[in-house]
Amino acid sequence: MSAIDRKLLDELGEIIGAGGIVSRATELKVYECDGWTVEKRAPDVLILPRSTAQLSAVLAALHRRGIAFVPRGAGTGLSGGCLSLNAPAMICTSKMNRILEIDFDNRRVEAESGVVNLHVTNAVKSRGYFYAPDPSSQVACTIGGNIAENSGGPHTLKYGVTTNHVLALEVVLPDGEVVELGGPAEERCGYDLVGAVVGAEGTAGIVTRATLKLMREPENHRTILAAFPDADTATRAVSMIIASGIVPAALEMMDQLIIRAVEEAFNVGLPLDAGAVLIIELEGLEAGLTSYADEVAKTASLAGASSVRLARDEAERALLWKARKRAFGAVGRLAPNYATQDGVVPRTCLPRILRVIADVSRRYELRIGNVFHAGDGNLHPIILYDEREPDQVRRAIDAGREILKACIEMGGSLTGEHGIGVEKIGEMPLMFSPDDLRVMTELRHVFDPMERSNPGKVIPQPGACVEVAAPRRQAPI
Amino acid sequence: MAATTSSNLANRLDSIIGAGRVRAPIGNEARAADTIVEPASVEEICEIVRMCEADRIALTPMGAARSLAGIRRSPVALGISMAQLARIVAYEPDDMTIVAESGITVGKLNAAMAGARQRLPVDPCGPGMRTLGSLIGAAHSGPLRLSEGTSRDLLIGVRFVGHGGNLVHGGGRVVKNVAGYDLMKLMGGAFGTLGIVTEATFKVRPIPCDYCLTVVPYARAADAFAAACILNDALPLSNLDILSPALAAGFNSTSQFLLLAGFSGSPLEVGDQAERIRDLVDARGEILDGDRALSSYELLRDIDFHSAPLAAQIAVPPASLTRVLETCGNDIEFRAHAGSGVAQIILAGEHSAEALAKTIARWREVARSVRGNLRLIAAAPAIRDSLEFFDTPNAGALALMRRLKAAFDPVGIFNPGCFVGGI
Repeated sequence: MSAIDRKLLDELGEIIGAGGIVSRATELKVYECDGWTVEKRAPDVLILPRSTAQLSAVLAALHRRGIAFVPRGAGTGLSGGCLSLNAPAMICTSKMNRILEIDFDNRRVEAESGVVNLHVTNAVKSRGYFYAPDPSSQVACTIGGNIAENSGGPHTLKYGVTTNHVLALEVVLPDGEVVELGGPAEERCGYDLVGAVVGAEGTAGIVTRATLKLMREPENHRTILAAFPDADTATRAVSMIIASGIVPAALEMMDQLIIRAVEEAFNVGLPLDAGAVLIIELEGLEAGLTSYADEVAKTASLAGASSVRLARDEAERALLWKARKRAFGAVGRLAPNYATQDGVVPRTCLPRILRVIADVSRRYELRIGNVFHAGDGNLHPIILYDEREPDQVRRAIDAGREILKACIEMGGSLTGEHGIGVEKIGEMPLMFSPDDLRVMTELRHVFDPMERSNPGKVIPQPGACVEVAAPRRQAPI
Repeated sequence: MAATTSSNLANRLDSIIGAGRVRAPIGNEARAADTIVEPASVEEICEIVRMCEADRIALTPMGAARSLAGIRRSPVALGISMAQLARIVAYEPDDMTIVAESGITVGKLNAAMAGARQRLPVDPCGPGMRTLGSLIGAAHSGPLRLSEGTSRDLLIGVRFVGHGGNLVHGGGRVVKNVAGYDLMKLMGGAFGTLGIVTEATFKVRPIPCDYCLTVVPYARAADAFAAACILNDALPLSNLDILSPALAAGFNSTSQFLLLAGFSGSPLEVGDQAERIRDLVDARGEILDGDRALSSYELLRDIDFHSAPLAAQIAVPPASLTRVLETCGNDIEFRAHAGSGVAQIILAGEHSAEALAKTIARWREVARSVRGNLRLIAAAPAIRDSLEFFDTPNAGALALMRRLKAAFDPVGIFNPGCFVGGI
């Protein structure tokens, strides 16, 4: 039985107006999952506030009734972070989408959390600035979602992830209290609570406003496409490039399965006979770029590249990036469903982990494509499956887990940028001891003592089997 | 009474970690703690924390104790020196990460990476004395923060001994990792008030081929800042600092404000930047290269604010820094990290405790007026009772900080009473 009754709906309606409340099952179905489509459950009510004051009043109303909620941005997350789990209410920030202030002198932007990532860069690029975190979903994902997940993107190799670019936050705590954390200065006063909230996956309340750092556009770029006979050779080239002392702005890999899917979808001119390609982007002063590009090309050839091509102009560069960033979409043509993993290994372990993935693919009889941030060691194996086949769904989940386990055994991590969500919550004990998890829970309780903000995410309940504890249903079979 | 307590404490510590590693404080340490223990393992630290929690004995982790000596009004009972925990745990140059115990100095860490032409590019004053624990706990940084960020940006994994004597870890050894909450951020700038950091993993960076330093004198601070702004807009500089005349005296004898703009890269990049900088600053000043550039940069990095009778760090939005320093008064000397909006300032001349308190209050007000903040780096013992070392955060944030402290240190033994709001 739902905790959302008529009286509450009326109260919420009074706070934000009827247009901001969705409670019909058919309309709520859109919100039954994010990019992690293996599990689905629609909320009982969706609330779309337009201001911090409204959002605060909504949370206070829920708090008075002890009702838990799920924050949501654009729903592009890949780990089930906004799956409605033990939380009847979903609060979507998509209507809080104003850029409040652009301060070029200080290289700062203040934006509401529902602003789309790419809109920030679009608003400042005419003056030669950009907002660095650039997840593949940047045309849709929101700043609030990026903050929750501590999102990355291809260019994090040089610029770091979201947490390196957030200076201040306005957060509505689960009881409705509005707090200001951090400030426009680079140094903070007291504990770094901004750093604690970024990456907390919505378990520390709801971020409503953020002060972000802007970066100066580099003078120029060189974008190189290097083709290799196989993934092994490509990943060894990654280590050799890094060892040469050159840190590219981005260093991305796509394997054959992905190359073919992308080529079919976008016709970029990727070499179809290649076992893998690297997209290597260098940026900086024009004076140094040509010699760096030559050195990278030489290193790639030395490592065994069959061809090395420099993007001739901005149009070709844009095409390569379009191919890379839409690779996930292109994969949609290969199978009815896919699950993307997000493990990380130390760069030097890339050849090993790719062999593990190939082996998993064979043993589980599932096709797995690889398109990932090679420079960071951040893998994105894409496991193809058909959700109409229950056995395939099970194998896809198990294959993903086996890959993650191997990442951890190599000294890596469960997730580089997609978050734990519900997807990897069962694997957290592989990486963290009971003491680590207890301390993380204590930290969560500082912000959310009753665990009402995005319950059931990130930290597994001590002693509970995650799969059993969660009343969630799998994708329709 | 205190002596008896110290000797009792020493005896009990002897029984935990064996005799010979408990001693009286030396130099700066005396301002931070009455008794010093030098554990040789993390397990010993866990034991010590358990004992101190049981008996409510206040403790603090320490490196060279310089940061602590600047901010503690009175010493805690026990200082945990990290001197014996100073090993490099793992270093793989091709991964560009390093894992080390927190007692190692930044200097030693960098020496170990020099062969691979890599470094931890966080450059506090005196890297030969500055431990990783202090770098993290006191959030030290230096001129390179403009291009390389601070330890906040580079710390990717941490182990610390928290309450209950439990060893806790956050993050990991890979450069990109969002599994679990970011405990690294909590340890950064927490001055040991949430636990004792025992091990840290950092991203490291290649050492650039060449480094040059432009040195330009200006009669007026405003002109130096205006030039800095132009340079910062035009070029990806490594560092961009402005020194007031007294602090600039080590570099030349012009008695003027000095702009120091560092740039680095391949010979081609450096050559190009040098040319453009000459154009931008009208061929004034001098561009140093090679060893001269490096030694001048080290001089800039190593300006010691800890031994000043009164020193503070002010952080404001970068474009406000000129005006803020002007408003702070003409009796200050400063080193300004111009592109970052962070400056260290000292008050010149002799002043009464009362006058100093007023001065600090005024600086604070100036910083607050542009939504910045200020913290004291050092204050002479005679005056520190009347001074607040940290700004007080807004009420909502402070309440969360108090809850955080209570959760991580329920007994209240970790470096109590010297952090924001008396935490």
